[in-house]
Amino acid sequence: MKKFVLLLLLTSSPAFAHAKLVGYDPAANASVKSPTMIKLKFSESLEPAFSTASLSDSAGKILPVPKSVGGATITLLPIGLKPGAYHVNWQAVGHDTHKLSGSFVFKVIP
Amino acid sequence: MILGAARGVYYVATMLLFGGSAFETLLRAKLPVITPLRWQSLRWAVLILALLAALAWLGLAARQMADRLDGQILARTATDTLFGQIFLLRLVSLLGLTLLMTFRRCRKLAVALAALALALPAATSHAAQASPAGFIAIGATLDGVHLLACGFWIGGLAVLAMLFRRKEPNIHLALSLFSDGAIVAVMLLVMTGLINAASILLGHGTPAPLYLGVLGTKLALVAVMLGLAAINRFRLMPRAYDSMIPRNAALELGLGLTVVMLAGALGHLQPVL
Ligand SMILES: [Cu+2]
Repeated sequence: MKKFVLLLLLTSSPAFAHAKLVGYDPAANASVKSPTMIKLKFSESLEPAFSTASLSDSAGKILPVPKSVGGATITLLPIGLKPGAYHVNWQAVGHDTHKLSGSFVFKVIP
Repeated sequence: MILGAARGVYYVATMLLFGGSAFETLLRAKLPVITPLRWQSLRWAVLILALLAALAWLGLAARQMADRLDGQILARTATDTLFGQIFLLRLVSLLGLTLLMTFRRCRKLAVALAALALALPAATSHAAQASPAGFIAIGATLDGVHLLACGFWIGGLAVLAMLFRRKEPNIHLALSLFSDGAIVAVMLLVMTGLINAASILLGHGTPAPLYLGVLGTKLALVAVMLGLAAINRFRLMPRAYDSMIPRNAALELGLGLTVVMLAGALGHLQPVL
């Protein structure tokens, strides 16, 4: 039984003890055509009350963008982003109440 | 750090409440020859400590999540997060315990409420979070069993210490009753501890040095506790070297409380880089 549990834990998909960013779209430093959805995927379920992400342009101005937090994902829904560099800042709190934060940049091309 | 301390104090207090009442109930049922302990005032002090530590834990966790603390954030933490909802359940358990203690009713229900207050935080522990998707309930259950087993060991030792202090003439009966239960508790404790550590640390990246350091210290202290317990159980008890047993048991209890405080800190450290 013990061996079985260990095997199960070792062979299944990775999880971390804090909510880490494990994947995002667009990728960091990517050049993309104006995206209509920015997706951030975390290693574990988030607390929507304290998890968020924001989008700002190269001048540092935060853009008003609809967002949703569900399960282990934060989604931003931008409309008509003009060519240029954009910053995504995120803050993720898991059920363990621990907070991690970070940011990445992507470029919109015409 | 102070959050880890609040969590540690909460565990210490609820372990004394749960393990102390559980072993006391066992004593009343199995060994009526031993006059029941009178530790009402100590029990009240520990209950109040548990309530204060629970509130401090809520406030500190809320401040950690929001970077500031006011009434609105506290309310949002209590109602909108899993940790907060679990906190409310723990609060209900502790308030229920307060009522039972006020009216001196229903010891078994009191043991169950103390068990809930002690084990519920397992639902938001790293052991639960680090479990693979779909197995979070298993991780939480294992951590809950870990906490309860530790509670029985430490609370039982505290009751024994009180019996030693009043020079209980039938102490050897209480000792052998305790060691029967403690052997099962320690086996569960070690087994669940190993599985939790494996699920938190293995396969997720490089373990963080600070986490490993605190975990290593905790394990070393547990090893000393196990050594003391084994000396008491297998060498001193059969030969009735009574003067050594209380000293070793007190040392074991002191180490146990230190271990629980370390566990409180460990729960807030990042395990892997
Ligand atoms: Cu964490």
